[in-house]
Amino acid sequence: MNKEARLKATINQKLTETGERERLKELLRAKLTECGWKDQMKAQCKEVIKEKGLEHVTVEDLVVEITPKGRALVPDSVKKELLQRIRAFLTQHAS
Amino acid sequence: MKMEEMPLSSPDNTKLEALMHDIYSELVEDACLGLCFEVHRAVKQGYFFLGEPDQESMKEFEIVDQPGVDIFGQVFNQWKNKECECPNCNRLIAASRFAPHLEKCLGMGRNSSRIASRRLARNNMSKSESDQEDNDDLNDNDWSYGAEKKAKKRRSDKVF
Repeated sequence: MNKEARLKATINQKLTETGERERLKELLRAKLTECGWKDQMKAQCKEVIKEKGLEHVTVEDLVVEITPKGRALVPDSVKKELLQRIRAFLTQHAS
Repeated sequence: MKMEEMPLSSPDNTKLEALMHDIYSELVEDACLGLCFEVHRAVKQGYFFLGEPDQESMKEFEIVDQPGVDIFGQVFNQWKNKECECPNCNRLIAASRFAPHLEKCLGMGRNSSRIASRRLARNNMSKSESDQEDNDDLNDNDWSYGAEKKAKKRRSDKVF
């Protein structure tokens, strides 16, 4: 258990230090916009807003509704590409 | 072996795979949260629905489908029968003939100088004025199909 936690911590640190985490975030955001995921999610947000009301909707309301749907709706191609890059990073840095 | 198919070293394989998916999940959640914050701010600042058409503008710019009128609701040939007074010779000219008339009248434009020089040449050669009026009317059609054809041909020749 300890070894795993240490490995995770090391990797996370390296992700931040090398700037790879930022690059991955940007890559994901770009891909999700490109494939229409963002527009899909925005439409979902509209539903939540209409339900809760423009004045009263909170971040929490949106997060609760959007996050599970968002996770499920990521296209396979995008998921594959991200995993590929993460795997490559791990192979390089997880000695 | 392609990069994506290369397995990670066996004993740590499952651990690294798990870590890989953890990192992926984190990234996706980050993207979702980012979107929620972005949308929430847009809602509270009042610009979330800004890009969408509202009822008023939809009615204002609705396509008009009436006879004698274009899709904007304007009468499209209202200038056909209007007449304009030439500032130079003070004659009343039909609107569609106004531009070419001005060209001749003010002595500007390509053809007016050509006609003027041809008139000079003809006056120097002979005194017959009977043909002049006819030629002028022919040359008046700057925008006739024949002239366009010539221009188009020249342009296409240049391309090749």
